[in-house]
Amino acid sequence: MNGQIGVYICECGPNIKDRIDIDKVIEDISSLGDVKTVKRFPLLCSNDGKKFLEEEIKKEDLSHLVVAACSPREHEKTFMDVCEQADFNPYLFQLINIREHCAWMISDKNEATAKAIKYIRAGIRRVALHRPLEKKEIESIPDVLVIGGGVSGLEASLSLAGKDRRVYLVEKTGSLGGMAKKLSQLLPNQGSNLSLIDEKVEQVHNNENILVSTSSTVGDVRGFLGNFEIVIHTDGETSGFRKAQVGAIVVATGFDVFDPEENSQYGYGIDNVFTAQEFEEQIKSGNVLLKSGKPPESVAIIHCVGRKERGYCSKVCCCYSIKFAHYLKDNLSNVNVSELYVDLCLPHKSDQEYFEEAKKKGVHFVRSEEEINVNQKGDQIEVEYHSEGKTDSIVVDMVVLAPAMIPSGDTPELAHLLNIPLDKSGFFKEIHEVLDPISTPIEGIYIAGCATGPKNIPESIVQSQAASGKILSSLIPGEKIVPEVKVSEIREEFCTGCQTCLSVCFYGAIRFDSFKGISVVNEAICRGCGSCVGSCPSGAIRSKHFTYPQLYREILEALR
Amino acid sequence: MNMNDTYMPTIIGFLCNWCSYTGADLAGTARMKIPASLRVVRVMCSGRIDPLFVLKGFLKGADGIMMMGCHPGDCHYQKGNYNARRRFVMLQNIFESLGLEKERIGLWWVSASEAPKYAQVTKEFAEKVKELGPNPLREEIFL
Ligand SMILES: Cc1cc2nc3c(=O)[nH]c(=O)nc-3n(C[C@H](O)[C@H](O)[C@H](O)COP(=O)(O)OP(=O)(O)OC[C@H]3O[C@@H](n4cnc5c(N)ncnc54)[C@H](O)[C@@H]3O)c2cc1C
Ligand code: SF4
Ligand code: SF4
Ligand code: FES
Repeated sequence: MNGQIGVYICECGPNIKDRIDIDKVIEDISSLGDVKTVKRFPLLCSNDGKKFLEEEIKKEDLSHLVVAACSPREHEKTFMDVCEQADFNPYLFQLINIREHCAWMISDKNEATAKAIKYIRAGIRRVALHRPLEKKEIESIPDVLVIGGGVSGLEASLSLAGKDRRVYLVEKTGSLGGMAKKLSQLLPNQGSNLSLIDEKVEQVHNNENILVSTSSTVGDVRGFLGNFEIVIHTDGETSGFRKAQVGAIVVATGFDVFDPEENSQYGYGIDNVFTAQEFEEQIKSGNVLLKSGKPPESVAIIHCVGRKERGYCSKVCCCYSIKFAHYLKDNLSNVNVSELYVDLCLPHKSDQEYFEEAKKKGVHFVRSEEEINVNQKGDQIEVEYHSEGKTDSIVVDMVVLAPAMIPSGDTPELAHLLNIPLDKSGFFKEIHEVLDPISTPIEGIYIAGCATGPKNIPESIVQSQAASGKILSSLIPGEKIVPEVKVSEIREEFCTGCQTCLSVCFYGAIRFDSFKGISVVNEAICRGCGSCVGSCPSGAIRSKHFTYPQLYREILEALR
Repeated sequence: MNMNDTYMPTIIGFLCNWCSYTGADLAGTARMKIPASLRVVRVMCSGRIDPLFVLKGFLKGADGIMMMGCHPGDCHYQKGNYNARRRFVMLQNIFESLGLEKERIGLWWVSASEAPKYAQVTKEFAEKVKELGPNPLREEIFL
């Protein structure tokens, strides 16, 4: 090849200059074939440096560019932008890391210099094999599918519809609102007032941009960010299916609760042993009564039911259990209320005060170990518990169990359909619990609310707003999306159609074309990990910018 | 075989971009000392480490080859490192059946923050390879 490769070495202030003999590097590589020019510069990432590079690319009429400087993790993008500025295809450039991997790692200057020369030589040989890669732009659909009509789904739908996006809201049950709609009241620090939830449901029904499908599930999802094709199945009177196209998906399928029947120690099934949801319904109807029709004179509320089995804290149960105690104390005269807890979780700013007030009203808080046994005792119920090495018991008229929040029933099927992972507790898994708690590995699919684990209502709402924000800023009507450029491609002439690669690709980016009898990569879905390449027995797959010849060149140069 | 102190083995390290390469960068930032004999080849994911690269590298005279990726569950592309692990096991079997020294290849999980681990495993591996002496195939090929 008659290349015109330009090599630019950055001094990086003293960082590289002091630890690598740059003149020696220049002397060594200047003699290499295809190298047009080798120059040094004090700080290439500075504005002056970028301007210098841009001018050099044009002036020297370079065919390829090598910059020997810092880590590609730091400035690859910077120099690729310079290339674009200079109307030079950024994939004809290679950044060689002589700072972190040579100057800073090797104390002997001669050794560091020798290693830098090796790396730069390898880079020069590699870059000569680079081909220009072009960005593709594809149309995107700004509409969104929201799965689940609890507070999380309602909030996401309203935020998106508010910006004129069409939203397909799919709810499995016959009505919207999820668990929040079944509660008796919210916590006092949340304003107690449940009409807030009713208002949201109203707003969703009245919003023209939101197409609500109740008694419905998502039957099929295909595609990728900006271009998903979905099928919504509806049961009941309006049964049938509807096809739609959306650009993004929000999964807000919420949670179910631990079934206390799974463990007989909780006594579920005994008369007057209720779950928290059943108790919420009783409060809602205004009648907290025993089977006998009489109001209870003593109630034990048991926290952490299923915590041991599930292995995590459900975060909301302590607060609503205290809410129950307040209700009982305020509405039934002379009722005796005990709360048996393992650990108290009072995470929000007014929770502590709420707890102190309950104590003032005479609620007994009893710390117990997880081993609690609930048994019938005549007309009453005996709760046996262990505390500080001793076994104790109380006898009460009514028991309320606060069961753990668990993943909603269809979570595994939905995860399979959407190709998104679950965590070890069976909830949808975030890309990163701390840094990116609403994204999934599949671009364009977001998760919000209790679908990723126990949360209260405000936390669920915040996540939905965040997911909506991500969607509103990434899918803009009229704006095209640019998928990854360094993707894999299958060379038709080599593919035997064995389909081995299909099972390797996590993203489902490879499809078998049965007409041609070969496999094809959908470049809009492929993320360019390169996993499929090594699996192909025919060597038919090429990972752009990380091709076999390019990497092989690097290996050979390393061994010289 | 030449086993004296001046012998400097050649080691190739294939590092995934997202965890291991970043961990290696951090080792540099922290001025940790890394064997000069190690040559890093960056790939986007450990799943891109084609077994052919390892075999060819070895047949072309590399004294040792290191594969590094994100910890299981942390791969930027979800499961690429599981592919790497499977391929590594396969490579070990190939080395064994061809009568090659399988101690000359290794796989490690190094996260973006595990600079000390990077420094430690590269040092240990370089020492081990030095003990093993030059790749016997190297002479065959270069003589
Ligand atoms: C007893 C109890 C009391 C509580 N009290 C309070 C309180 O006072 N204050 C507070 O902040 N929080 C409270 N919480 C927590 C609160 O209920 C949750 O934070 C909230 O419901 C989370 O909303 P969500 O939309 O994420 O999930 P959900 O409310 O569970 O809504 C999910 C929706 O998705 C639907 N769905 C599930 N799977 C599918 C599918 N495959 N396809 C379509 N639709 C599907 C469900 O039918 C449901 O309508 C309480 C929880 C419990 C159990
Ligand atoms: S593994 Fe290779 S030969 Fe087999 S279908 Fe995929 S690309 Fe074609
Ligand atoms: S490079 Fe990765 S994402 Fe792309 S087709 Fe191959 S395995 Fe799938
Ligand atoms: S990205 Fe590090 S192993 Fe896949």
